Amino acid sequence: MIAAIFNLNHPAHAVHWHFFFMSVSNVVVIILLLIVFALAILAPFPGHGRPKQTQR
Amino acid sequence: MSSGRKSWTGAVRDRAVAVLPPEKLLPDSQPAYMSSWIYVFGVLSLVSLVLIIGSGMILLLQGPDWWHTSSIGHFFNSIHMWSVELFFFFMVIHLWGKYWMAAWRGGRRRVWITGAVAFVVAVPCALTGYVSQQNFDSQWISTQAKDAMNAAGIGSFFNLMNFGQMYSYHVLLLPLAVVALVAAHIILVRKHGIVPPFNLSKSVAPATNGTPSNGSPVGPRATPGPAARPGPRFVPVPAQRPDPVPVPEVPAGREVPAVPEVPAGRDVPAGREVPAEPVL
Amino acid sequence: MSRESRRREDESYREWKGAYSPYDILREATIAFGVVLALVLLLTVLFSSPDLPPSTIRSWSRTDPVDFVTTAATELDGSSTTGGYGPPYNDVTANTQHIGPFYPARWFGVSQPINSAQDFVLAPLRSLTGQPALQAAISTYEAAPAKTKAAWTAAFESALGKARVTSSDSITVKPGNYGPVPAMLGSLLRFAQFGGLDGALLTSDQFYQTNYTEPLMFMADGGVLTDRAQQQRLLGPQWGMMNETGQYPGQVWLWLYTFWYQIKPFSTSANGDILVMGIMGVLSLAFILVPLIPGLRDIPRRIPIYKLIWRDHYRAQRAGG
Repeated sequence: MIAAIFNLNHPAHAVHWHFFFMSVSNVVVIILLLIVFALAILAPFPGHGRPKQTQR
Repeated sequence: MSSGRKSWTGAVRDRAVAVLPPEKLLPDSQPAYMSSWIYVFGVLSLVSLVLIIGSGMILLLQGPDWWHTSSIGHFFNSIHMWSVELFFFFMVIHLWGKYWMAAWRGGRRRVWITGAVAFVVAVPCALTGYVSQQNFDSQWISTQAKDAMNAAGIGSFFNLMNFGQMYSYHVLLLPLAVVALVAAHIILVRKHGIVPPFNLSKSVAPATNGTPSNGSPVGPRATPGPAARPGPRFVPVPAQRPDPVPVPEVPAGREVPAVPEVPAGRDVPAGREVPAEPVL
Repeated sequence: MSRESRRREDESYREWKGAYSPYDILREATIAFGVVLALVLLLTVLFSSPDLPPSTIRSWSRTDPVDFVTTAATELDGSSTTGGYGPPYNDVTANTQHIGPFYPARWFGVSQPINSAQDFVLAPLRSLTGQPALQAAISTYEAAPAKTKAAWTAAFESALGKARVTSSDSITVKPGNYGPVPAMLGSLLRFAQFGGLDGALLTSDQFYQTNYTEPLMFMADGGVLTDRAQQQRLLGPQWGMMNETGQYPGQVWLWLYTFWYQIKPFSTSANGDILVMGIMGVLSLAFILVPLIPGLRDIPRRIPIYKLIWRDHYRAQRAGG
């Protein structure tokens, strides 16, 4: 078998708080979802720059 | 076009072309308000789905146990798995964006509905994949999730522990359903166009947004000159004008575009019609 | 906002009559494909994918023979989870989940019949030819009254709680009145440890088989799958529905499905599964029908994240475009 560079085949660490129990990997995915969504909305889109004067 | 009684084929073709002409199916322009990265997550979801299906087809070539014994098989299984993760990742961001844009406005309810159903169907499609892995994970998932299926009554004819049945659903039936729903979703998007922004001002008709009097497009990404079009070219303006249109009240300092003149012999693109009455 | 003005406003969004920009849809799709392909290849090279080998009845009976024999005893007397499950496996009705008067599990009857005593213990043992003592023990058991059978298996299960495992993976219990049960289950243990029971349960009906219901139900009645699942953080209270084995990201989209199981009344209810499925059915329908649900469809207007999305457009408007 070709081995992966990082071996993830160990039991997962988990975030455990009261009844909330989520693997660290899934927490990372959820945080990434929120970050990427925020970036998608806030990041400037190329080409728009400042409002241009109306072209006549 | 045939004369007399129209053939079924002709009728379907004419209707299809009327609803979705080539310029709408493969447009070369898009509304100027689309200047946000949120708009790329639909196509990212779509290409992730293409990768899922492509890698899945390669896994089919050597059968369901290939990836357990072959490095190349395991490689394509990894591509399949990560494509699924990215598919759901991009799809969730796409749906968040579309929700906050209220993208069902303007007659686009079916666009939302087909997208949402595609998401809901993708979940059991993934589940049937997880129980088809033929490893410990599939043993655990099938023996656990069977309780929910049985309690809901569907366990009688949808047996998660029946590998043959689950593989059939995963490889053909559910992907077909997902692809059909995604295709319907995309066709509806092309038909209805991307939802315009909310109107902030209530006293100006939305048709005037960003449109100067000479008809050339402006907007953050517009390029002037002959390459820029005033709008999609797909639907000709009706030959007869509707009744005279009342000119809306113009707040001081704002221009109202004049109705563009139509040169003889040329179609004016859709979208240049003046609305019958301003939106209040 | 009146219904009429709402309808008119919605009509105004039907078609964009403003400015357009040049756009290359096929080039965008091609670039997107390249980006996602590169990302998938990177993740594949960095992390690969998990593939924990499946448990087998053979491995189970070798690594935990006491658990195997205890489970087999409960299958014999019908006190196992499978034995008391109800539809679609048998017609025991005591444990069928319901919402009020609705018992969906019963609507389609016993469509996958499993007789735990016959299918998991007696039939595999009957298939072992050339063992007259074993066949005699089975006949003795089958001929005994139901009360006697129940007394034998109950006593044996109690004794198994203090069983010892020998060096040859067989087990010893203190002497007692167990009838032919120890002889039968001892033979079943050896049959399982040789690997014969995996195949016997799979091909019980026909030569070609793809239905693993019986061996999986048998293993799930014991502790072999649960023990591994706990190590891999796949148990219910570990929000296991969302998890993948190892440290891989799992099925994050199942967060709400598993959430309900963590809170009362679902976490303690005997009808937890059907209640959660019912709630998720309703919420899924609401998700699909958002455009038709007043209030829910108005939130985007009231919380104007859209002003961030379309800020360039609104800025251009204000600039007098």
